[in-house]
Amino acid sequence: MNQSPLPTQANAAAAAPAGLAARAAALVAERPTLALTGILALLVLITGLVEPNYLSVSGARNTLLQAAPLGILAGAQTILMLTGGIDLSVTMIATGSAYVAANQSAEGAVIAIVLGIVVGLVVGSANGVGVSVFRVNPLIMTLAMSGILLGLFTAWAQTILQGSTQMGPFIKLIGGGSFLGNRIPYSVVVWALIAGGLIWLLRRTGWGRLLYAIGDNEIAVRLAGVRVWQVRITAYIAAGVLGSIGGILLGGRTGAVDLQLANAFLLPSVAAAVIGGTSIFGGVGGYAGTILGALILSVLNSMLTFLNVGQAIQQVVYGAIVLALAWGYAGLTRRA
Amino acid sequence: MITTVRSAGVALWRTGLARNTWTLGVWLLLSVLLIWYATLIPVFGQFQVTSISKNSLPLVYLAIGQAIIVIAGGIDLSLGALLLLTNALAARLMDDQPFAMVLFIAIVLIAGLGILNALVGYVISVSRVPDIVVTLATGYIWSGFALWILPSPGGGTAPEFRWLFTGAQSGIGGTYVMPILMMAVPAILVFLLSRHTRIGLSIYAIGSDSVASRLAGLDVRRAKISSYAIGGAMAALAGLATVALTGTGDPRFSVGANATLNSVAAVVLGGVALVGGTGLVLGVVAAGVILIMLNPILSAMGIDPNNAQIIQGLLIAGVMMVGGLVTLLRERSA
Repeated sequence: MNQSPLPTQANAAAAAPAGLAARAAALVAERPTLALTGILALLVLITGLVEPNYLSVSGARNTLLQAAPLGILAGAQTILMLTGGIDLSVTMIATGSAYVAANQSAEGAVIAIVLGIVVGLVVGSANGVGVSVFRVNPLIMTLAMSGILLGLFTAWAQTILQGSTQMGPFIKLIGGGSFLGNRIPYSVVVWALIAGGLIWLLRRTGWGRLLYAIGDNEIAVRLAGVRVWQVRITAYIAAGVLGSIGGILLGGRTGAVDLQLANAFLLPSVAAAVIGGTSIFGGVGGYAGTILGALILSVLNSMLTFLNVGQAIQQVVYGAIVLALAWGYAGLTRRA
Repeated sequence: MITTVRSAGVALWRTGLARNTWTLGVWLLLSVLLIWYATLIPVFGQFQVTSISKNSLPLVYLAIGQAIIVIAGGIDLSLGALLLLTNALAARLMDDQPFAMVLFIAIVLIAGLGILNALVGYVISVSRVPDIVVTLATGYIWSGFALWILPSPGGGTAPEFRWLFTGAQSGIGGTYVMPILMMAVPAILVFLLSRHTRIGLSIYAIGSDSVASRLAGLDVRRAKISSYAIGGAMAALAGLATVALTGTGDPRFSVGANATLNSVAAVVLGGVALVGGTGLVLGVVAAGVILIMLNPILSAMGIDPNNAQIIQGLLIAGVMMVGGLVTLLRERSA
């Protein structure tokens, strides 16, 4: 913006033939979700070329089954990234909640799920207090929390949480089952409800606006009379609860839980939010983009699985595409 | 005149102390832990010192590299993956080679990984995608390459190379001279580089305020790229130390991910704030050793290793909370 202070004739002439492309670029820059939807469609088509059976109801169902827990965990990251935070313990919260829910499966589904979510409530509160009251950097607070949780649950797995590592039938149904003739997974319904709630909270409520405001300029928000620390704590609690729900769904999908359950979701949960256009510095983004990010990563995962190229190449391609998407996104939105 | 000189000297000492309280505190904590450990176990001698110092090498190297990048205002979540990549390459290439060849490979790897990560720094600075996102993605790429080069644990290195890092050709026992030397020399070199050279000072400057640095005429991009180059070279050194310690290569993704997270923890414990521009590399060295030392200390206390993980987490969170509280109180009183 500070490069050419005066629009010259030459500039205008050069811009004319590229009018259509420029208009398309401007449209995409204005609505980045369009570009993401395009990328998603492209990836689905490529995956369909690789494996024709993928373009079917069951293919879509499998991708959605993968995407639901990831999307919910990425929702936790989105809320926190909007405030300028991050949660590296979200996958341990998920694993811990699933572990508790499996352990209590004999007590009935309701108690199992409630106790599982309590894990997220407690851990989220602790993270929130550490970050907002004691002002520990969120990266460090949640990293330390992740280590603490791993230690606690490893120890508890042999003591107070000894016993069942199998999820109860109801949670298995919610996490992995489908209805309408095996077409629509229940977990996607849960995800859709959460997504609707999150989008409403972020766009239409004071709490949502405060999250954006804190991420944008915390000092201004504080000077405006907001108790920033309280908002932050609630954000971490919300993230913890989302982590729990994601973990319980994931546990229901796999049927049995272990302490590695959600490990592999940590980096994708951040990547989904970032691809979806939520800034890691806070104040910019939203959950709609994150949903697309989670879907893109899940389709990508299916594609790489179908290509059967081995784990090494999978990781390389996965990283390269995440980088390319983030780069493209940054380029597009900067031009706007 | 003498009094003025003396008071100036005292003032210099005071500001020095005030500025470096955290670094001194971490070294003090390390000394206290060492003494405590010495009283905890029946025999404390060469074996324990050697074991602690050599086992700390990979984390200390990685943390030094991370510290330089964090001081420059960035963060590198791919350092653990670079460690894996070096580890895999070294174990693959060095197997059954003479020592001279092994040394040559080591130097090429250090230079190569430095250049590779400089490229990442360049991408970050050109694309303006946040550091954390770019390195998250490149972390996948490097660990994928590591797995491709070394599909399963294996490979090896020359006994002399193991001696270089561990003080024993078998990697077991030996004296503490080599590991401590191998820890101190790179640490002091990077410390001097960061505090006494033009590029080092510009790394601090861009981390402190990159806009002001640019307006003051600093080449921000060059400083950023340099910090990533140093980080890459230190990650390579960490990978080489891992080969020397274990005698093999291990390309597992989780090894790299844990190493990255530990390096960030060591950096913050060592007094380098994640906002950039502050802290000393020397504090990070002590913090890295402390994180490694906790395990033998806790096992000497008869605490089971799972609880060791809990205590390590509590220690990191607790230290940072105390630090946050201190700044809060200072702000209140100011």
